[in-house]
Amino acid sequence: MNILLCSVNTFKRLYEISSVEVGQHLYWQLGGFQVHAQVLITSWVVIAILLVSAILVVRNPQTIPTFGQNFFEYVLEFIRDVSKTQIGEEYGPWVPFVGTMFLFIFVSNWSGALLPWKIIQLPHGELAAPTNDINTTVALALLTSVAYFYAGLSKKGLAYFGKYIQPTPILLPINILEDFTKPLSLSFRLFGNILADELVVVVLVSLVPLVVPIPVMFLGLFTSGIQALIFATLAAAYIGESMEGHH
Amino acid sequence: MKNVTDSFLCLSYWPSAGSFGFNTDILATNPINLSVVLGVLVFFGKGVLSDLLDNRKQRILKTIRNSEELREGALEQLEKARARLRKVETEADQFRVNGYSEIEREKLNLIKLIYTTLEQLENYKNETIRFEQQRTINQVRQRVFQQALQGALGTLNSCLNNELHLRTISANIGMFGEMKDIK
Repeated sequence: MNILLCSVNTFKRLYEISSVEVGQHLYWQLGGFQVHAQVLITSWVVIAILLVSAILVVRNPQTIPTFGQNFFEYVLEFIRDVSKTQIGEEYGPWVPFVGTMFLFIFVSNWSGALLPWKIIQLPHGELAAPTNDINTTVALALLTSVAYFYAGLSKKGLAYFGKYIQPTPILLPINILEDFTKPLSLSFRLFGNILADELVVVVLVSLVPLVVPIPVMFLGLFTSGIQALIFATLAAAYIGESMEGHH
Repeated sequence: MKNVTDSFLCLSYWPSAGSFGFNTDILATNPINLSVVLGVLVFFGKGVLSDLLDNRKQRILKTIRNSEELREGALEQLEKARARLRKVETEADQFRVNGYSEIEREKLNLIKLIYTTLEQLENYKNETIRFEQQRTINQVRQRVFQQALQGALGTLNSCLNNELHLRTISANIGMFGEMKDIK
């Protein structure tokens, strides 16, 4: 009886150690809420990277730019170009929003792929890109929803709701459905891409640790960059679409 | 049996689940692959990125130089235009001064002319007045003579008889004869 109990215990312990835990997150208790601590920690790191690099580089702006200033100006021109293409003439106020989306998602994706997060071990869960959590991507997508609603309402007032019956009133249910599918698709596209790439890399590493995961990691870098660009471009496109057609 | 499994567990260096710490298993934390990926990224990315940024910097420098040159050109043109303006202004001043002296001279000439014409007219007026005066005096003399002659003729006709008439005629003949002798 004792021997059976011992073996069951050891098997349980072995099972605990050799499992690849996916989905078990580190929770912190804040008041009545449980927050996902590892996502918060990695988000803070991403925010710190962005802010510190921006502050360091743009501290002393010169007319003839230094390397870092040149790079940041290039990124800003790129984001402005994306906003201008998608939104049109009044793209000015929306550049910060689109830029934040793009930079946060890009840096968080690439930091998840490039930084050695697994060195730091947490009691539950593990550190990875903050966008591999559905909460983060849904938050970003809902922000985009709020943004394009705000854009449409502030430009057209209540006549914005006239767009629901725009080509023909028969399409009214489809237009209403669009307001739900837009944030849904944005969030799931980003979440799925990032989580899937991470999982593939983790699984390959646990199978063949040395050389085989490398092409997949490159693929992951490429697609995560593209996903950031897609998210930002779609956000700008939704904003532009809700602001257009103003006579 | 428990001891065997316990020692087996101690060999694998897993930290107990449930605490923070560092994972030193290099196969799980993937540093080799990460460093390879980072290395390749930096190696290729640096070339591309510095090319892009250099292009941008050169474009900025060229734009700055262009605008500087344009500014220089514009300043030069401004200077030239100002110099021309100054020259034209002095010429205009000169013209103005000349013009004023011309006007003064013309004025003086005109005044002189008017004065001479005025004098001439004065002379004419005076002459005409004198002429008229003379004419009226002559007319008056003529009238007076006519009156006197008529008076004399009347007196003569009234107190002339044959004797007086004969004496006058013989006196006139004697006068004519003396005049003819003198000639």
